[in-house]
Amino acid sequence: MRDAIRFALNGAIRAVDDVPPHMTLLNWLRAEGLTAAKEGCAEGDCGACTVLLGTPLPDGAEGFDWRAVNACLVLVPQVDGRAVVTAEGLAKGGSAPHAAQTLMAETHATQCGYCTPGFVMALAALGRTPARDDESVMDSIAGNLCRCTGYRPILEAARALPLEAPAPEEAALAEKLREIAAAPLDYRAGSHRFLAPTTLDDALRLRQQFPEAWLWAGGTDQGLRVTKQFQVPPGILYLGRVPDLRGITEDKDGLTIAANTPYADALEALAALAPGLDGMIRRIGAAQVRNLGTLGGNIGTASPIGDTLPPLIALDAEITLVSAERGRRTVAARDFVTGYRKTVLDPDELIVAIRIPRPAPGTHIAAYKIAKRVDQDISTVAAAFALKVQDGRVDHARLAYGGVAATPVRAEKAEKALLGQPWTPETVAAVKRAVAEDISPMDDARGTAAYRTAVAANLLDRLWHETAEPGTPARLEAL
Amino acid sequence: MKLTPPARSAVHHPHAHDSALKHATGAARYIDDMAEPRGCLHTALVTSRWAHARLTGIDASRALELPGVHAVVTAADIPGENDVGAIVPGEPLLAEGVVEYVGHPVAAVAARDLETARRAAALVEVTAEPLTPVLDLREAVEKAHYVLPPSEFLRGKPGPALADAPHRIRGEIMVGGQDHFYLETQAALALPQEDQDMLVHSGTQHPTEVQHLVARLLGVDMNAVTVEVRRMGGAFGGKESQATIIAGIAAVLARVTGRPVKCRLDRDTDMMVTGKRHDFLLTWDVGVDDDGRVQAVEMTLAARCGWSVDLSPGVVSRALSHADNAYFYPHVKLTGLFCKTNTQSNTAFRGFGGPQGMMAAEAMMDQIARTLNLDPLEVRRRNFYGPEGRNLTPYHQPVEHFRLPEMLDEVLASSDYAARRKAVDAFNAKGGVLRKGLAVSPVKFGVSFNKPEMNQAGALLHVYTDGSVSLNHGGTEMGQGLFTKVAQVVAAVFGLDLDRIRPTATTTGKVPNTSPTAASSGTDLNGMAARIAAETIRDRMADVAAEHLGAEKSAVVFERNMVRAGNKSVPFGELAELCHVARVSLSSTGFYRTPKIHFDRTTNRGRPFFYFAHGLAVSEVAIDTLTGEWKPLRTDILHDVGASLNPAVDKGQIEGGFVQGLGWLTMEELVWDKDGVLKTHAPSTYKIPTARDVPRDLRVDLLADAPNEEATVFRSKAVGEPPFMLAISVWLALRDAVASCGPAGHVPKLDAPATPERILMAVQAAKDTA
Repeated sequence: MRDAIRFALNGAIRAVDDVPPHMTLLNWLRAEGLTAAKEGCAEGDCGACTVLLGTPLPDGAEGFDWRAVNACLVLVPQVDGRAVVTAEGLAKGGSAPHAAQTLMAETHATQCGYCTPGFVMALAALGRTPARDDESVMDSIAGNLCRCTGYRPILEAARALPLEAPAPEEAALAEKLREIAAAPLDYRAGSHRFLAPTTLDDALRLRQQFPEAWLWAGGTDQGLRVTKQFQVPPGILYLGRVPDLRGITEDKDGLTIAANTPYADALEALAALAPGLDGMIRRIGAAQVRNLGTLGGNIGTASPIGDTLPPLIALDAEITLVSAERGRRTVAARDFVTGYRKTVLDPDELIVAIRIPRPAPGTHIAAYKIAKRVDQDISTVAAAFALKVQDGRVDHARLAYGGVAATPVRAEKAEKALLGQPWTPETVAAVKRAVAEDISPMDDARGTAAYRTAVAANLLDRLWHETAEPGTPARLEAL
Repeated sequence: MKLTPPARSAVHHPHAHDSALKHATGAARYIDDMAEPRGCLHTALVTSRWAHARLTGIDASRALELPGVHAVVTAADIPGENDVGAIVPGEPLLAEGVVEYVGHPVAAVAARDLETARRAAALVEVTAEPLTPVLDLREAVEKAHYVLPPSEFLRGKPGPALADAPHRIRGEIMVGGQDHFYLETQAALALPQEDQDMLVHSGTQHPTEVQHLVARLLGVDMNAVTVEVRRMGGAFGGKESQATIIAGIAAVLARVTGRPVKCRLDRDTDMMVTGKRHDFLLTWDVGVDDDGRVQAVEMTLAARCGWSVDLSPGVVSRALSHADNAYFYPHVKLTGLFCKTNTQSNTAFRGFGGPQGMMAAEAMMDQIARTLNLDPLEVRRRNFYGPEGRNLTPYHQPVEHFRLPEMLDEVLASSDYAARRKAVDAFNAKGGVLRKGLAVSPVKFGVSFNKPEMNQAGALLHVYTDGSVSLNHGGTEMGQGLFTKVAQVVAAVFGLDLDRIRPTATTTGKVPNTSPTAASSGTDLNGMAARIAAETIRDRMADVAAEHLGAEKSAVVFERNMVRAGNKSVPFGELAELCHVARVSLSSTGFYRTPKIHFDRTTNRGRPFFYFAHGLAVSEVAIDTLTGEWKPLRTDILHDVGASLNPAVDKGQIEGGFVQGLGWLTMEELVWDKDGVLKTHAPSTYKIPTARDVPRDLRVDLLADAPNEEATVFRSKAVGEPPFMLAISVWLALRDAVASCGPAGHVPKLDAPATPERILMAVQAAKDTA
């Protein structure tokens, strides 16, 4: 057990033992005088505090897995054993600006400049990404807001960015950090405590010992309790250092995604399993959020507008839970959430994995996200459908929705209206009427109940158009 | 620009923003980035949770018991006058007696750190007796609940002309407000000095106003307050009057505690407390002939001012003076209503009422065309201002140098409009779930503050003996590139490379009594003032040069860092040293006031604008008739910036303004609940455009070879606000797409912002009509 936080800041190892464990990396950096990262929103929605977070690659591989993250959603102890790079570090103290920095200046991509260091860091992450097309360039800055430029010059800078090879000194630094990260962390400051176990058994034991501690996976939702509601956690049990909770395995029957796998990885695997999910998946959060947030965390916070449960329900996924006392159990994704932000998870349990069966051949999978804005928005309505038509009749149907009730829902009446029927516009009309009975939407800032009801039903029209008339564009993405 | 200027040219050249690389490396400092002085305290606000209530008590005792808390101030603790009214007095900094909106500042806490200040603020107990609020704009209109009496622009006899018109069409739209969402939230750092002096670093577009009001709050003379600002992380009008709230709180707490105090609002507090763009209810009654030509029009522009006056007189006046946009109204009456609601006090925002006025004109043109089954483009063209007889605005200023007819021809050709119109119609005729829309909209924007006395500026210029130049003026840098452009002007006057000119932080100590950097006037005013200062110094230097080079003064030329006469020359820096030796002053102020303008606010007649800036946009969009989602496909813009001082900066303003306007009209939605609580107070709920919301195919051209006919600085035109309104083309294209779902003659009902929800409802209404 170690009691000081150790990490690399712009290439040099730092030890920190004097901050409360719920202090955000952003606030710490700024207090250190590294003010390139700005607070624009303190909720991970503007990207002005973007930094690079490097996690040493697992044993056998050299160097880091570098990702852009929002420093406002990362707690200082969370970076223990990792490397952080800010715009100052990228510029080597101003003496040698990085290509992302000179390009942003040359393309007139800065006006007020407040968002610029965040964009620069998003670009720096992009510069380390070998496979790049225009969509991924767009994705790389979808989590960064600029109010001045209209983005065109920023995209120009991004497209011109050269591919960057890891610096030679990175391997040694990663090795040093890997050693640090091997030991669990028990960080205390006053009455505050941050526990970062490195095995599942330890995590379960600590969960039992400190049931009041906040479970912390990526922190993209939990973090808001600190940055927005100014709550002080009595303790934090951080799951990001447990290797058993991270990773994806695929077999002939499906996928198993460990709970603490970041969205970015989990969603990629999901989209490969069911390509129909792709369009929605790249719209969950933005790069910085997908790099931090985890699949288990999204399920565990049980938000009615969490975007991952509808697809998991539609795919008949199962969630594996474990406790030190009672061992493992499995619940269907559709049964996991029991009420507004309530789940079947017991106080001594953790989510360990999500199992997604491979869809039967011929099953059409579709997922739709409807929001005011394409990128980095919360769904007004989310829908995921699995449909199999055999000999003209519907043979299998799963219709799952988010944003239309206090929990994600499976539209069972509508499914019943669908099963065994011919897949025709007349059937769709009947199913649309049934959907209205399955959901109980409300009015809020994102939309009225009437709109949600209309859209939830109309998405079945879209499904029909996409399956029955595959040549005709039925989605704006096609234009 | 067609001609590529020589690389060293100071003006008419795409120089980079003076801070570009500093922005990118993080070296550019904003107020919250400054090293905190010893003993610096931090601020949290205590705000009203009632939309309207009579205050019965404020108990700060529990907050004051918290370790680290230094002061909790309320209205009673303000040393001077508790008033930050920008135009009309009577707007307290901290609520007195009543609170008038949810978010109204009631008290402010200073503590050793932000976390302590926030905890303390939560412990301040405010009690009140709730009063009935007015929250809805329509309700305020119906009840004639105003902050000021109505204002009217009148020309001709609209009543009889309306009665005689072959067609009479009435319509209305509701146009929503907009949060500025500058990436840098409001911030100020107040530092008590010797005597009663106060130095305030304030993120403000109007340092003089902050100086004036801080002095009033502290009960000291203006000469005891210095306000300084190097740069802002965006402002867009939101840091004009509103910045005084933040600076005022910091200054009062600094005075009360005797320590430096920083007040930086977090995003939610910023959005809950500060004013926004006015939402408007726009109604019209228009008479037209069979060709859609306007015969007479009566319009009412009802603005949600919020709880107080703030800058609303100017905003409504500009809305009225832009409700014609590019169109001649033979007989016209425009009425502006200053509606009072118990919500944030709305304020300046890029366009300053102009965009809302133009929305009335453009929605009306669209309605005329669709009602009469005419081409909206043709209806617009027919109603354009014309020669004498068709050139008088509703405020009686003749429209001179009107460039839109020729510009329209140019952009229709360059955008391949005719063919694309056919393609869009053909696409829609197939009747799929996706529909397309195409629309053209013009912008004619009046440049100058509507208030003539505000059109003045000062600059202060020093040439040092090494030939380097220090530049200061009353304008503020908020990202728009003002410092770069004004430096270019000075470099051009002296024939120096741009890097010899150092722009310095705006401060009330150097240039006094300034106007806000607003109304797109920053470069026109400050560029001219700096030019005059530079020419004054150059003239003195030319005397010395003539003597030194043994030439006539008229032969002396300043170029390429040298001063020449015939075949002799002296480096600029050497000449500066020679001037010093000759005891010739190398420092000068410059002062400029805009010529030709006048305006009578009692009759609403005159020439408020020195000139007009023009622009045109052609936008194509697609909508999904199942969900109301939409997508921009292409926008072509042709914009008139006169002879551009800096084409790169100007293009940045055009693109950025257009995208900000697109956000206003399509996705940025302010939602208050039934208790008057703003529910969209952070980017999680309030959505400004991201990169994917910008048309992938965006083509922006500056009108070529088009120097300003008026004698502006190097014949350039203002560019800050006018492009914002080019986005109206997007909203019109969405209406066009919706209209394709209904029968001929269907006029879509589509309020702004045209969110997916509103689009879907409009599509449904169109289908139901069919």
